[in-house]
Amino acid sequence: MNAIAVGSRPGEVPSGHDRSPLLEIEDLRISIASDASSFEVVKGVALTVCENEIVCLVGESGCGKSMTALSVMGLLPRGIAEVTGGRIAFEGQSLLSLQKRELRRLRADSISMIFQDPITSLDPVFTIGSVLEEVIRSHRDVSRTEAREIAVRALMEAELPDAADRLDSYPHQLSGGMRQRVMIALAIALDPKLLIADEPTTALDVTVQAQILENLRERQREREMGMLLITHDLAVVASVADRVAVMYAGEIVEEAPVDELFSDPQHPYTQGLIRALPDISVSKGSLYSIPGRVPPPQVPPPGCLFAPRCEHALDLCWEASPELSRDGAKSLRCINAQPFEIG
Amino acid sequence: MKRTASRLAYTVIVLFVSSIAVFYAIRLSGGDATAAALPGSATEEFREEFRDRLGLNEPIYQQYFTYMGRILSGDPGNSLTNNKALTDMLTEHGRNSLILGGTAFGLVFLVGIPLGILASLRRNSWADQGIMSLSTVAMAVPNFWLALLAVWLFASTLGWLPSAGCCGTKQLILPAVVLAFEGIALTVRMTRSAMIESQNSDYVRTLRAGGLSEWRITCKHVLRNALIPIISLAGLRIGQIVGYALIVETIFGWPGLGQVLVNAVLRRDYPVAQFFSLVLVALVVLGNWLADTGYTIANPRLRKST
Repeated sequence: MNAIAVGSRPGEVPSGHDRSPLLEIEDLRISIASDASSFEVVKGVALTVCENEIVCLVGESGCGKSMTALSVMGLLPRGIAEVTGGRIAFEGQSLLSLQKRELRRLRADSISMIFQDPITSLDPVFTIGSVLEEVIRSHRDVSRTEAREIAVRALMEAELPDAADRLDSYPHQLSGGMRQRVMIALAIALDPKLLIADEPTTALDVTVQAQILENLRERQREREMGMLLITHDLAVVASVADRVAVMYAGEIVEEAPVDELFSDPQHPYTQGLIRALPDISVSKGSLYSIPGRVPPPQVPPPGCLFAPRCEHALDLCWEASPELSRDGAKSLRCINAQPFEIG
Repeated sequence: MKRTASRLAYTVIVLFVSSIAVFYAIRLSGGDATAAALPGSATEEFREEFRDRLGLNEPIYQQYFTYMGRILSGDPGNSLTNNKALTDMLTEHGRNSLILGGTAFGLVFLVGIPLGILASLRRNSWADQGIMSLSTVAMAVPNFWLALLAVWLFASTLGWLPSAGCCGTKQLILPAVVLAFEGIALTVRMTRSAMIESQNSDYVRTLRAGGLSEWRITCKHVLRNALIPIISLAGLRIGQIVGYALIVETIFGWPGLGQVLVNAVLRRDYPVAQFFSLVLVALVVLGNWLADTGYTIANPRLRKST
């Protein structure tokens, strides 16, 4: 049996769609343009995040999960990646058609984001207090003293030790975990409705990872925020997610409530990911890995993108790309799903 | 504190070594001191006596120690050609050089930084391409040629500015611009690339995610970070300007330290050549020290940790 257990939470939240949706992404397409060519890295992603729910977007590096997150904030690297189609709506309002100024007002205030690398994500020449204060005052008409009070409160909520004394610290005086706490404070200071966390614990020590994750979940629960957590770590998914979307080569291949995804994964890729989790009860033997590699986005295979690595692939899988079929709270992009057996 | 102390020790060592180098170089460059100081009709006997009086027949190391002793006691001696006190010459010509060099130093940053910022904000526009091509040319053109070209165009042909002289504003313009030219070009390129690097950084993405305006991010955060390498290399521009001043001051007849030094070398005026070489070395060392200090001021990571 796998070492991962799906955490049960007090006041178990009913899954997904009966709450009002905060973020709706439909048929999102993102292309990366280089000098010679351009190719799609996000191919028609659909995703919904509701209030008071944590949705995990899982996938390996380069599958387009970070691009999806950045596109919500309007922060795709300019001149490199670009949204070429689809719709992103926040509380029913289309984000892609917003003026720059309107989008800017939403950032940090309604939608916040935490990034992967806390070491490089804070301006090295300003104190953390001054940056927090600047962000707070750019959205709220408050005095500097009030802004600093809000900043200290946010830092305390992010569980930064000696929060008030840290306002005058420069980022280099803080450890990686402390810097990520500053990033969390920056993200929650203005009580946003939606928090996007892009691999927030990947760059941190394992011991700190759990604390940061726990902190994020507490803040999310008490504020009833919607949270989109992007990760490649299934252990993270199992411990915090309400719902999970699995992404492969720019497409969502499966989406399900977290317990169902772990107990009854449908898509062969999801099954492979779960099978690849190391099992601590077995001390010897080689680790499982999914055979083959991700197809290059420049030359995607015809048909199902996972077919070249799939042991159950039919002839049809090589010919036509399967649609994402919806069944209640679950959806799946596979025409030949097999029951999951642990190898 | 420890850092400052070690920099200071380093500075002293550099000054000491270069004083030896300067002293020996001038002795070894050949020529005869008496040629400058005495009329052509002076007898060999008289010349020998003159050398003796100046201590030129002593072993070189002994001459060096005598000389350094005099410098450290504040009296570096007099010129051989006109018997002026070197300290007086330093005050007089140093002031002129300070006017010219200071203006050039100011131009380097007051012109270079804004142009670099403009180029970085309008990346790949015609303005950017124009600025970058010009700066490439400016770095490739040797400044003695540029000086001659400037004299030909603005003084001889157009007649807008005097070709030489001292020390009014009009006379200052041409030499100052020529002296600053390469520094401006370097500063433009450095500013542009530092700005672009900073704009693409993770922390700028964080600030964008924080909803700050692009204008605010650029003016405050991007610029402040981009200034670190520019400020830290500002001291090195002093060295460059000091070096180029020898040429530019001579061409434009600007009576500064550089011109005095060049003339002294040509006339074998040892005391002047030695002393002013040392002054220039001290200026360059000072520039490097400033570069270090400036870097610490601009970059909180290098400040004393609290």
